[in-house]
Amino acid sequence: MYQWDFTPVLANSGMLAAGLANTLKVTGTALALGVPFGLGLALLRLSSWRALSLPAGFIVEFFRTTPPLVQLFWFFFALPILIQVEMTPFVAAALTFSIQSAAFFAEVFRAGIVSIERGQSEAARALGMTGSQAMRRVILPQAVKRMIPAFTERAIELMKTTTLVATVSYADLLFQANELAQKTFRPLEVFTVTALIYFTVIYAASLVVHRIERRMAISGETTVH
Amino acid sequence: MNHNWNFDAVWANPEALLAGAAGTLRIFTICLVLGLSLGLLVGLGRYSVRQWIYLPASAFVEFFRNTPVLVQILWFYFALPMLVPFEISPLMAAALGISLNSAAFSGEIFRGGIQSLERSQWEGAQALGMTDAQAMRRIILPQAIKRMLPALTNRAIEIFKMSTLASAVAYVELLQQGKLIASINYNPIEAYTVIALIFFAFLYPLVQATYVLERKLRQGD
Repeated sequence: MYQWDFTPVLANSGMLAAGLANTLKVTGTALALGVPFGLGLALLRLSSWRALSLPAGFIVEFFRTTPPLVQLFWFFFALPILIQVEMTPFVAAALTFSIQSAAFFAEVFRAGIVSIERGQSEAARALGMTGSQAMRRVILPQAVKRMIPAFTERAIELMKTTTLVATVSYADLLFQANELAQKTFRPLEVFTVTALIYFTVIYAASLVVHRIERRMAISGETTVH
Repeated sequence: MNHNWNFDAVWANPEALLAGAAGTLRIFTICLVLGLSLGLLVGLGRYSVRQWIYLPASAFVEFFRNTPVLVQILWFYFALPMLVPFEISPLMAAALGISLNSAAFSGEIFRGGIQSLERSQWEGAQALGMTDAQAMRRIILPQAIKRMLPALTNRAIEIFKMSTLASAVAYVELLQQGKLIASINYNPIEAYTVIALIFFAFLYPLVQATYVLERKLRQGD
């Protein structure tokens, strides 16, 4: 019978805490860059100008369709040679997950914008607003409210995806767990604790999402996917 | 940007890429079959009125939906062998992680699909003298499956993408072979570009088919 022993994990809990901090750092960076970039992609994709909508559509489809780990490897191993720059694991991860989540956020934005009835933009135009004024003042404020559930769900997905950075040796929670398991020869305890840490953080986040969803349902706004 | 693109070394060993593609398809098929069938069981379990079925099914879904799949794979690969008396191969670890993760997600799809049917369908089936199990099998599931189809095909696409994570435990699939080719020939640009394009070529038609399916089903309703 296996003798569980969590003391080596507890003694090195600082390593896991540092890993969690790095996980949150990558997630935060990718969110901060991915959301505005995603909005830009969505607006370009909705443009009636094909020279803008086609490339934007291609970027969105390509990054939604290919596996994130392949993208990460490309940005970490191929891109630095191609443009002759030094690439740290953090920069590669931040780049990959920013662009990848931008592609997903773009679809969330687009679905939200498209879901607003035509009458809204017609009314805005009737009041003399330009297309961009109508978008900024009338369409987006309403669309963003509808997008919140899909948006937060995506943010949670992003946090789970960031575990991939461990494969390019960025010291996130999973990478630290791997190191600690090798150091202590206690993989069972280390990986179990690590899974529970992820579960705690992500489950707490999804409970918040559910609460938001319920409030949206009460105020009559539906989830847009 | 003055890199001389040279794909010769990538194509010099078609066997390496073919072995990778075969590995990707193998793990994809295993995880698709296991993930969806387990998912159906879990989805039905979460619909049960019996607490001893409902509670474990719910705990399973919440746990596997709320932890990263790569953590699950590494747990099965590094931690599980401490508890069981046999070796865990990379394929087993990766397939277990991806299948259980997909079961949790597709379980929610099945539950949502079943829940979406009106009560009158159940009542009608019962009025005809069917048991609950018969009603589920003959009346509810056939209709629910149709509504769930777009979500299920999306899951299949996710499983295909997740299969690349098997490379983290050195299972021979496309990305793992890409790593191998890149490290032998020092050509990461070409190797990873080709791997990305291969995945895109596999998945893009699937994604487009899903869009068409969604549109068809919406028109049908």
